[in-house]
Amino acid sequence: MTGYVLELAQAALALLLAPGVVGLVRWMKARLQNRRGAPVWQPYRELGKLFRKEVVVSSNASWLFHAAPFVVFASVVAVTFLVPILAVPLPFDGIGDLLVVVYLLLLGTFFLSLAGLDPGSPFGGMGASRAMTVAALAEPTVALAIFALALGAGSTNLGQIVARTMTDPGAALSPGHLFAFGALFIVTLAETGRLPVDNPATHLELTMIHEAMILEYSGRYLALIEWAAAVKLLIFFSLLGNLFVPWGVSLALTPATLALAVASLLVKVVILAGAVAVLETRIAKLRLFRVPELLSVSFVLALLAVTSSFLLR
Amino acid sequence: MDSLFSQLCVLGSSLVLIFGLILLWRRGVTAYVTAFTWQSIVLAAVTVTVAYFGHDPELYWVAGALVLLKVVVIPRLLRQMERRFAAERELEPYVNTATSLVISGLLVLFGYAITRPLVALSQLPTRAGMPLAMGLVLVSLFVVISRKKALTQVVGFLMLENGITLLAVLGTYGIPLIVELGVFLDVLLGFLVMQIFIYQIHETFESIDVEQLNRLRH
Repeated sequence: MTGYVLELAQAALALLLAPGVVGLVRWMKARLQNRRGAPVWQPYRELGKLFRKEVVVSSNASWLFHAAPFVVFASVVAVTFLVPILAVPLPFDGIGDLLVVVYLLLLGTFFLSLAGLDPGSPFGGMGASRAMTVAALAEPTVALAIFALALGAGSTNLGQIVARTMTDPGAALSPGHLFAFGALFIVTLAETGRLPVDNPATHLELTMIHEAMILEYSGRYLALIEWAAAVKLLIFFSLLGNLFVPWGVSLALTPATLALAVASLLVKVVILAGAVAVLETRIAKLRLFRVPELLSVSFVLALLAVTSSFLLR
Repeated sequence: MDSLFSQLCVLGSSLVLIFGLILLWRRGVTAYVTAFTWQSIVLAAVTVTVAYFGHDPELYWVAGALVLLKVVVIPRLLRQMERRFAAERELEPYVNTATSLVISGLLVLFGYAITRPLVALSQLPTRAGMPLAMGLVLVSLFVVISRKKALTQVVGFLMLENGITLLAVLGTYGIPLIVELGVFLDVLLGFLVMQIFIYQIHETFESIDVEQLNRLRH
């Protein structure tokens, strides 16, 4: 019973924390660029404002345009139940392993692209085609990178991977883990629309990807999509933090270990957000045609990760 | 103790290999020089680790010579050349970036395959890093044959040498100091000769693109 309560608490925590993470990255980036920056809770205000605003929909849009925000949001909420954010093992571990997580995330991307195509605006179509290009290259890499860890743990179950790394701390420094971490970090940047691939700070630019697809959205639909994007960022951060450096994740369901789990999650998220902010300050956006090259770097890293964890077992 | 030792060695070898892969992805000469410098630093760190855990004081000298040659002298000479040829970026290699990355991934796989008997035979705690060193050797060789600019090929050659040194350090705890010093001298001389070649190529063709050498046939 407590397990199910914990699942709900974990999903709720992820949903509530996610906009703050986006705000944190923005704030750190602003400070690094010598700007004062909006406060960390600014995204909450934006979401609140969007939820109160009316929805304007193009007359060319079909039912798909209305359904997509809910599908996108529902898919990331489902993933928050399956990813080890606070504790392992969870009762829903048996329902979905890493493949389910990867394809649920892909489902959201797929519907977002359909919604981008639906109203027939040129920007939406461009964004959709780019997002599919990125997703087609990034999705196998996510699966492959986590699969490298799964080989070590002998299970594709995310909870078991975390538990296994905790019992064998040396594994966290094995080449398989390092390569997989590099691969997953690059994919995190690509999948969540961060800098070398897509610029999250821009709203009208010819090279945008995520923003181009959601250009037609407004009001609560836009709020749902933005919120889902924030949760996706948090999901990737917690995958990076908890799969590769699992210490802090609660193995027993006592209040003390859970408090520690929340604290360690916050620390990991802050560190990763800092890394992303520094990276986004240091580098410029890649030309679109170099994005597949970056993603093939991460694919090769993931391939090496699987090889070395397979051969060095 | 042994497990920490082998973990550190594998970690170092992985980093050395990753710095080698940067050569395939980046295009600017500056990035190559930086990658090579860091690779040499990590290589020296691996050597020191092996010296400490393997109780082989001679390796400290090897690490010192390595730092002097590959972190100080050669990068400085490379930067000198870079100032002159900075505009010559590796824009059109024979094999494009995405393909060469996949090929190098396969080459590392191949490296794992061919070092398997070696790893199985060896009893040393450093053996797990050997496939990565062999992978670096193969990847650098691939860089040398697939890139057009002479300067990139030189960096590829230097990384090849790093790979061989890593293989020697991990496989046998280093070769005798006197041989090692001879190798270092060879590398330095080889590098100087190549530098003169590059200047000559640039003098003759106003470019360091080795494609141009085909014109010599006519």
